[in-house]
Amino acid sequence: MDEILSLLLSVIRLCTPIFIAGLGNMFCERVGVLNLGAEGMMISGAFMAVLGSFLTGSAWCGVLFGLAGGMIAGAIHALICVEFGGLHAISGLGLTIFCRGVAKFMCVAVFGSTYSPNVQAIQTTELFAGVPVVGQWLKQLSPLVYLAIILGFLAHYVIFHTTFGLRVRALGDNPRAVETAGIDVWKMRFIGVFICGLLCGLAGAYMGLGQLDRYFDGMISGKGMIAVIAVKMGNWTPIGIAGTALLLGIFDAIQLKLQISNTLNLSPEMLAMVPYLAGIAVLCMKKKQDGRPMALDTIYLRNRYKF
Amino acid sequence: MKEMDTKQIKAFRGIGRKQVMDIIMPFFLVFLAFLLSSIWITFMGKNPLEAFATLFRGAFGSATSFANTIKKSVPIAFCSFAVIVSMKGNAFNIGAEGQLICGAIGATLAGALFRGLPAPLHIFLCIVASALFGMLFGLFPTMMHRFRGVDLLVIFLLMNNVAEYFLQYFVLDLFKSQNALVPSSRAIEKTAELPYLIGPPYRMTIAIILVLICAVVLTWFFNRTVAGYEMRAVGQNRQAARYAGIPIGRYTTMALLLSAMLAGIAGGLEVLGNYHCLYTEISPGFGYDGIPIALLCNANPLLAVIGSVAFGALRNGSLAMQAKVGISSEIVNVIQGSLILVIASNYFIRYLLNWRRRAK
Amino acid sequence: MEYAVEMCHITKRFQSVLANDDISLRVKPGTVHAIIGENGAGKTTLMNVLYGLYKPDAGQIFTFGQERNLKSATDAIACGIGMVHQHFTLLPRLSVADNVVLGCEPKRGLRYDRSAAIERVGQVCSKYGMQVEPERMISEISLGMQQRVEIVKTLYRGANIIILDEPTAVLTPQEIDELGKTLEQLKNKGKTILIITHKLEEVMAFSDDITVLRNGRHVVTVSKDETDIPSLTGYMVGREVHLGGTKQEHPFTEELLELQDVSCSRDGRPVLSHISLKVNRGEILGIAGIDGSGQTELTELIAGILPCDSGTVTYQGNDITRRSIAERKKDGIGFVPQDRHRHGLILDFSVEENLLLGLQREPRYIQHGFLQNRKEIHAVAKERIEAYDVRPADSGAKASQLSGGNQQKIIIAREMGNKPQIMVADQPTRGLDIGAIEAIHHTLVQHRNSGGAVVLASLELDEVMILSDRIAVMYAGRLMGILPAAQATREKIGLMMAGVGDAPEVKP
Repeated sequence: MDEILSLLLSVIRLCTPIFIAGLGNMFCERVGVLNLGAEGMMISGAFMAVLGSFLTGSAWCGVLFGLAGGMIAGAIHALICVEFGGLHAISGLGLTIFCRGVAKFMCVAVFGSTYSPNVQAIQTTELFAGVPVVGQWLKQLSPLVYLAIILGFLAHYVIFHTTFGLRVRALGDNPRAVETAGIDVWKMRFIGVFICGLLCGLAGAYMGLGQLDRYFDGMISGKGMIAVIAVKMGNWTPIGIAGTALLLGIFDAIQLKLQISNTLNLSPEMLAMVPYLAGIAVLCMKKKQDGRPMALDTIYLRNRYKF
Repeated sequence: MKEMDTKQIKAFRGIGRKQVMDIIMPFFLVFLAFLLSSIWITFMGKNPLEAFATLFRGAFGSATSFANTIKKSVPIAFCSFAVIVSMKGNAFNIGAEGQLICGAIGATLAGALFRGLPAPLHIFLCIVASALFGMLFGLFPTMMHRFRGVDLLVIFLLMNNVAEYFLQYFVLDLFKSQNALVPSSRAIEKTAELPYLIGPPYRMTIAIILVLICAVVLTWFFNRTVAGYEMRAVGQNRQAARYAGIPIGRYTTMALLLSAMLAGIAGGLEVLGNYHCLYTEISPGFGYDGIPIALLCNANPLLAVIGSVAFGALRNGSLAMQAKVGISSEIVNVIQGSLILVIASNYFIRYLLNWRRRAK
Repeated sequence: MEYAVEMCHITKRFQSVLANDDISLRVKPGTVHAIIGENGAGKTTLMNVLYGLYKPDAGQIFTFGQERNLKSATDAIACGIGMVHQHFTLLPRLSVADNVVLGCEPKRGLRYDRSAAIERVGQVCSKYGMQVEPERMISEISLGMQQRVEIVKTLYRGANIIILDEPTAVLTPQEIDELGKTLEQLKNKGKTILIITHKLEEVMAFSDDITVLRNGRHVVTVSKDETDIPSLTGYMVGREVHLGGTKQEHPFTEELLELQDVSCSRDGRPVLSHISLKVNRGEILGIAGIDGSGQTELTELIAGILPCDSGTVTYQGNDITRRSIAERKKDGIGFVPQDRHRHGLILDFSVEENLLLGLQREPRYIQHGFLQNRKEIHAVAKERIEAYDVRPADSGAKASQLSGGNQQKIIIAREMGNKPQIMVADQPTRGLDIGAIEAIHHTLVQHRNSGGAVVLASLELDEVMILSDRIAVMYAGRLMGILPAAQATREKIGLMMAGVGDAPEVKP
């Protein structure tokens, strides 16, 4: 029983960054901007979070730094895709390579090597320690996990029950219709991408301060792309994204457990491949994707930039 | 009618200006990328001009460094050919990195497992093996894309991750060398090693000639043959090509597989020509270098050769930058990333440069 | 008197094109004012300026005597100007009410108040006597109702000046009459309406005043009673116009193409059901219908682009149902697709390369089995450019640099150059100026006169009626009937276009 519960906790821990980044990507894609740079935003978030914790000695300050890091990366993507009319896929790809390079560069400059020292982290929630029966389990999760769950519900409410959400859904299908209704398409797209940057930054901060307590080059290793898959396979809804993230988290947890316990005597590198193979398998599944924003990955230039 | 003709004439005059623009733009974009990267260098407290001067000297300063630059440009060139071919087929092969790794694995296996073959045959076999392994690695994503509609970009990136882990497994576990000082795979036979064009200390192999031959063959294929015309049509306007009766699925698949083969060859040549065995650091991102080069050179293989030399200079020179100026060689990735970001902003930059026309 | 709208000396330039050249316009309040001109005359640009989407390079705009500085659609809406665009700006996955209130949604705090939205839409409808169903999804309602939703959108925002851009393009003749009644009602409630159109019949039916634009300039403004269709055509084009080619008698009669009980689907939805028709040599078979009735699918079926699920296609006595696009081209079926930019041409290719598209595998263009015969390609291109008067006469120019008319000429030159037996053309004159339209009509009729067959699908009923020897009418993927031209009247065809006329609101 204990085994199962600890495995469950492991699953939740591992699926949280995918879920948070997936929520962010959902907002971004629902306003029509494709984001392959989620990985880059997460890297920025993770590095800035660890840096922040290192500089201030407080993990929560680190989280704020992480949010800022994600926002800056998001701002770059927003500028290129929304204002400059650039191709979303190329911008996203460039962003990931750029952020990874800058993070490694700054890591070496600040910490002297490609990994940081251990810093103040928030890997447990002492708040729940006092709760009877489940408290000992609940406290083993970082408070950021609980934040993620709250964000999930919040995201669902915003998208489906607010006027902002209505406009976002409209924008994702037909930007022209929204523009002629007198709504500022570009402001909304900017907001969508910024939210994405914030959430991906949070996801990265969670990985740096909630899962581990340091930063090293290659720590995100593909979680950003998995988040993109989670959005697609989750049919662009928070519930679907949660489901896909959990599924992928299960594979990740199993792989980790096998590595640690070494039961099947498999090489660690082969095991490390499992989450990606799982991601590819999920991607190749035939699932309904009718929630796809019809205007996803379309360039919508301001009239004055047309020449 | 009169208004119509004036419009045509104005468009005509515009052509001349546009062509000049087309040639200047790539250089301007590269300049912008360097400018962006200078920000980080200044941030670190170093002088960007001094840093770039070191970079240039490190790349071209001496005969040896020039040779190293050219050697580094070989895999980059093949990777850019790979991306170019995929673009001509209306797809974007960002899985070149993973295919390169598989090609390297293929060449290592063929080079180490076959014994007693005459050198030319063995080399040929190894190159074929690298192309084959690269192609097979690209086969799965291509098929998934064609028959299941899977997003090509996402699956290629994930496959790259898988390839990186498999490489680790291969070099450190499956095929590891028993007696090497540095972690590496078993070495290839002497008969599989590429012969030198120019011997030590420069060690430039025939791989360089292969690059040039490949560039010429690709250019000739796309501009002179019927299949090349049809593929270009698919690449430029998929639907129009379909309405013209061209089998678009087939051509895109062909382009992607050919592209994967070229990326595989890139990896194979590194093993056969440079290291004679496989290291986990076989590619510092050559597969991703191909992307900005293909975009900047407008999918022209001959121009891509020049672009690859430039990138080779970048990678080679960055080592000198690290040693002499103290800037981490990671700056290459920063430049690579900012270059792609700048390329993505291409349209807007053109808009800004058009200020003269807009003022009228 | 105070005019509802006054636009003074409006000039708008796009790069090298002067879309509006010093245009002045005055619209009396409570009237229907039509803005007409041929394609490219600058009508839509002028109205987009009025709606705040474009900023004019020069000129001023006044509504009800007050000068307005319109920087965006929001400003225009605030001044009481509403616009219904040619291509509807509706969200298919949202309901009618959602679409109407988008941008001014009723809310309770942050929460979107859906029930209030439905209520308010109902209120607006009853105030102006309009009828829509607020809770249905846009994807489920007819185009006629969609247009009404668009009009309700403008009324919801308090528009007093409503601009309609080509409102009748997608309507059946019955729905056009309905629109006319709606406009009357709105006029009675004091609204001012501007219609952009190039359809002169409707102009004479609906409008009070008419402004004619040509080549970006204002030509004349007249009241309906002072003018008639021939004069308007004269103002629009500035010279005598001869559409429809010159048909001649000929001895050809044999059957060339037959469709037997053909049904097709696309993405799982049926688009053609049980079509049976014949096409003979020396005739133009016109396909009439509203947007989405299956005309495009029918042409694509004949060309081989849309495979059929059941039924047979017989051509020159042979069953070609399974033949590929390339094979049909070789057999002599030429095709001019509806979307010349997406399907007909490759804009980045040169004119020469575009003239080769689809024909590149012909023996005369190939050397040694796999190389291209550059000399021959070039020579043939030169010939075609001359024959069809493509401007500029440069085979190396990129297709993107040519005007729409010339681009269409390339496509037609290419297809005709293949010496087809049957030419299938889908909206070949859409968006072109009168000169190009005349030329294309001429080409098609020549083809017919010399024994070829033409299948012409068009949304312009006038064009279909003037060119065809027989007219087939499509509705919701079904063939409603085929009439010889002599027996075809607008009313009869209109009824068939609407699905035999008893339920004008059935989903297309």
